[in-house]
Amino acid sequence: MRATPILLWRIVAAALCALVVFQAHAATPAPAFQVVVDRSNALTAVDRRFLADAFLKKVTTWPDGSIIRPADLAPSSSVRRRFSEEVIRRSVEAVKGYWQQRIFSGRDVPPPELDGDDAMVEYVLKHQGAVGYVSGAANVDGLKVLSVN
Amino acid sequence: MSRWAWVLVLAALAVGRRAEAAEVGSESDFWSVDVHAFASQGFIFTTHNNYLADNTKHGSFQFSELGINFTKELTDKLRMGLQLFAQDLGPTGNYDVKADWFYLDYHFSDYLGFRAGRTKIPFGLYNEVNDIDSARVPILLPQSVYPLQDRNYLLAQTGVELYGYARMRSAGALEYRLYGGTIFLNANNTPGSPEQVVNVNVPYVVGSRVLWETPLDGLRVGVSFQALRLDTDILINSTPVSVGVPVILAVGSAEYTVGDLVLTTEYSRWFAQSDSSNTAVFPALSIVSERAYAMATYRVNRWFQPGAYYSIFFPDVDHRSNRADLQNDVAVTLRFDLNPHWLVKLEGHYMAGTAGLDPTLNDGVPLASLDRYWLAFFAKTTAYF
Repeated sequence: MRATPILLWRIVAAALCALVVFQAHAATPAPAFQVVVDRSNALTAVDRRFLADAFLKKVTTWPDGSIIRPADLAPSSSVRRRFSEEVIRRSVEAVKGYWQQRIFSGRDVPPPELDGDDAMVEYVLKHQGAVGYVSGAANVDGLKVLSVN
Repeated sequence: MSRWAWVLVLAALAVGRRAEAAEVGSESDFWSVDVHAFASQGFIFTTHNNYLADNTKHGSFQFSELGINFTKELTDKLRMGLQLFAQDLGPTGNYDVKADWFYLDYHFSDYLGFRAGRTKIPFGLYNEVNDIDSARVPILLPQSVYPLQDRNYLLAQTGVELYGYARMRSAGALEYRLYGGTIFLNANNTPGSPEQVVNVNVPYVVGSRVLWETPLDGLRVGVSFQALRLDTDILINSTPVSVGVPVILAVGSAEYTVGDLVLTTEYSRWFAQSDSSNTAVFPALSIVSERAYAMATYRVNRWFQPGAYYSIFFPDVDHRSNRADLQNDVAVTLRFDLNPHWLVKLEGHYMAGTAGLDPTLNDGVPLASLDRYWLAFFAKTTAYF
């Protein structure tokens, strides 16, 4: 029965592979946030600085010329905190300070602040050119998730 | 407080009930507008010399600001806005409500936008927020570069502005603004003063600011220029004199934000010349002033932000030794954000020199005779949304 050891090794190898894949899957935590846009947006990835400028309303159009409509989560949201620190590279309070300067010097007003993932998904679905972010576990059916470079 | 100031307060309170949204009307409603407002009350106490207000040596509450603004996006590219503002700072303001800024803004692209109206002057990094307490850490911005006494000349101009923002890939980004127009000024006279201003006119003000957001995250540097001319008719001991004063202001700025630490420094020179119709009464002058500061602020946590700065001011670069020729200001400030709409600040200043003082607030005593070393303490609370 020469085939038996080979079969045994194959079973062991398959089990090890399955274990590795399972562990890799289990070790990958859900991302802290997902950047979402409406499906008509041509991008699949976005430059971090461009995204930061979009949320600070320094840039107002996507590369195809359509208007960017950013939306934030509430300042108390842990998802917003992570997004702010990783993408804008400023604390939520620092961003708030930036908007205080813009508001009262008459330059601009901040993006709307939404209550949670569901409200954000609804906003992005309803507004062409919208961009927002939701928690890693949020259901983003109907939206496109952008990777951030 | 004038009737209009009370109306402004009531309007802010009424709208403030919707403070979280800061938007009146639903998003889809054409008449919906973004509304924001603030109200500040400060207290000033000084030793030896009165500063910014009368009688600060005994403490003064003549340090108040309130404002409310409305912004409406008419289309994706067209926006209009208005801010009503009232203040009281010693002899100035007296709660008269003014249109602090108003504009019609057309945004052609990120590279080019156009504004018409009364717009805040982009001079240095912080001139536009000189009277917006919630937008900065210190109660007083360094008075060498952002003097509150000169608010009327420096804060806003009525005319047009071109602006833009250009991303330059790996070279960072440039933010640029170019403006031109005039400044409407009222002749303010101190009763009993031998000099009485009959009228004052600003035939032109032009200027620009360029800020470079460098590839190093958090570092931005820039330069600002402003040129204006003041034409005024004065009575000096009842003798009429016409005086024209062309002024050029320049400032170089650098700001570095790393995490919760913000380091800022600015250096400025102001050039003024005067031509006079009667040099025997009002001599022709040419004067250059020098102004600079370095400031650091740090956010310890969500509610606490201390800061400190050192500021120097020489009204005439050719004379730097006497007490009236300089003002050195060492300031320490504490900002407490009690909640997202309410803050309290405390601030102390050690002053050397009298150049920033006003003799009319000090019983007419000349600057050279006022106390050289003095202290100033400020407390201020602001509610905003």
